[in-house]
Amino acid sequence: MERVTEAIEIQLKKGVLALCVLALLSRADSYAYEIASRLAKDIDMGEGTIYPLMRRMQSDGLVETYLVESQSGPPRKYYRLTDAGRASFSQQKAEWAAFTRAVDDILGAAA
Amino acid sequence: MTRADFMAKLRRGLVGLPVATIDDIAADYDTHFADAQAAGRSEQEVADALGSPDRLARELRAEAGLKKWEEQKNPSAAAAAVFAVLGLGAIDIIILLPILMGVIGTLFGLFIAVIAVIIAGGAVMAAGPFLEPPGGPLTAILAGLGMMAGSTSIGAILTIVTIGLVNALVWYGRLHYRLLKPAIDPQG
Repeated sequence: MERVTEAIEIQLKKGVLALCVLALLSRADSYAYEIASRLAKDIDMGEGTIYPLMRRMQSDGLVETYLVESQSGPPRKYYRLTDAGRASFSQQKAEWAAFTRAVDDILGAAA
Repeated sequence: MTRADFMAKLRRGLVGLPVATIDDIAADYDTHFADAQAAGRSEQEVADALGSPDRLARELRAEAGLKKWEEQKNPSAAAAAVFAVLGLGAIDIIILLPILMGVIGTLFGLFIAVIAVIIAGGAVMAAGPFLEPPGGPLTAILAGLGMMAGSTSIGAILTIVTIGLVNALVWYGRLHYRLLKPAIDPQG
């Protein structure tokens, strides 16, 4: 139980936003607008939030950027996961799974 | 608000940060507008979704100040952190200001007192033995040493207290982020 409450607290603090970004990037490299519009649609976050978040994740070494030439306009900045980012993703994903399983159990028992 | 308005306000609000950082941040939001337009959204709609550029700039600037303090604990970074929190302009921070000034004033006074006692201790140690003190020259030397050592340790405690206070202020300031909220919690 100690572990579970701790996980709740950690997850609440971080929010699920960073976890969602890691998940999207684990599937494919992406650029900020694509990530933002995806998250804005699915989990209702302010789309401007993505930029400070990406900046923070980059300075934490979870993601790195590279430029891709585009036909229209300036080169586009893509994000990809670093090794540390992938490690952080699998760890957070496991924590999240344990947490939701625990909540599901409680909800199921109450029904 | 148009794209040009948003970008101008954002850039104006970020003045004070390194130019490269401003360019970097501005480029992100400019690209955002371009991408959104390509997706068929109006400038007005995108600007609304992004929130107030003034507020955004203020929070980004505050975060830069708070980060500086976390990276280097020195007086100029502490000042940067205090100004960063004040820059957030929350009403309760303004109410807090007189208390804050009192605390800063008290700490400053104590630091000066500590330095004065260290100097006085040095004087007692150096000059005391020649002034025929009660208890003999050795007593004067030891008393001087004691004054210096005692005030040094009080100074160390004061430093720890000051760092703790600034840390608390940083934590408090971050509670006032509205636009940056989900982005600033440390990653595990």
